[in-house]
Amino acid sequence: MNLLRLALVFGKIGAVVFGGGFVMIPFIQREVVQHYGWLTQQQFVDAIALGQITPGPILISATFIGYTVQGLTGAVVATLAVFLPSFLMTALAARQLARLRRNPRIAGFLRGVLPAVVAMLLMAAITIGRATLWSDWRLLLLALAALVLLVRFKVDAVYVVVGAGVTGFLIER
Amino acid sequence: MSDSPAAVRPVSVAGLPRLTQVMLKVGATGFGMGMVGVLQQEVVTRRSWLTQEEFADGLALANLLPGPIAVDVAVYVGYRLRGWIGATLCLLALLVPAFVIMLRLTIAYLHYGQVPQLHGAFKGLNAAVVALVLSVAYRIGKSSLKSTAQAALAAVALVAAFLHANLIVLVLACGLAGALFLSSRPKTVTP
Repeated sequence: MNLLRLALVFGKIGAVVFGGGFVMIPFIQREVVQHYGWLTQQQFVDAIALGQITPGPILISATFIGYTVQGLTGAVVATLAVFLPSFLMTALAARQLARLRRNPRIAGFLRGVLPAVVAMLLMAAITIGRATLWSDWRLLLLALAALVLLVRFKVDAVYVVVGAGVTGFLIER
Repeated sequence: MSDSPAAVRPVSVAGLPRLTQVMLKVGATGFGMGMVGVLQQEVVTRRSWLTQEEFADGLALANLLPGPIAVDVAVYVGYRLRGWIGATLCLLALLVPAFVIMLRLTIAYLHYGQVPQLHGAFKGLNAAVVALVLSVAYRIGKSSLKSTAQAALAAVALVAAFLHANLIVLVLACGLAGALFLSSRPKTVTP
């Protein structure tokens, strides 16, 4: 029963991640952590961090979550389910490309969706930050430094994640 | 659905084994959006399977559709070159390296994640994830919050999200609002 639910939850998320893999974060947090309680907040954040240092798509965090919920089968089911919607839509739309791009309704749809995506990402950042960083000014500073490196200096996310992990390790020692 | 999508072939023909091999390489060496760069290099520059314009079309399509951009582009490439089989193989080959590595990391994490010595490292990762999410919000916001209406939509969505609105409904509702009120007017009179 869990497998079916896993497939449904991840299929649903896979169908609405407009704007790239990162957009899954608020959805997964809401569904997997808050609604079903399959992962703790900490495991969820770690899943994202591991997805970041793994080559391939960020959405591969689904593998982590699936495995944690239901072992190897869960990992396979969650991973396939999360990629299936975009796979189908892309292959089906590949022939209609010119028409889709000229369709003003689709452009309008995205113009409406992306502000919502920004809002949800902000909410996710605030929720994760409040749960994990608020109690320690050093971690807040680390997050700020990471943000500056990412936005201002366009440093690759992989290095930022690994660097932050090492820094955290050194701070705690 | 009878005519082959591979009817228009640019310069060279992509065999299925080679296509799979290339996608395995992209999946093993590219990180997140970085995969798009590796993919382009392989498919356009090195092998001339698609022209630069065709590849750019795929990228534009990926931006219209849900899903990770790089995965969408890979599926597009596979479909353009070899139809449904190509698309399926591309998706699976792209995912296999990440899946295997992630699985090993997960098992290691479930084993050693509670080791107290690693506590600090995970706290550091928390900080990085918060920064990453904010940076993506900034990047998408910079390109998508271009009008007062869009900024207002974002503000409303933020409040709704904090009030525990269903996020999927929220995204689709905002999309619908966009389709109704933010569609660019075509030059001809709308019917």
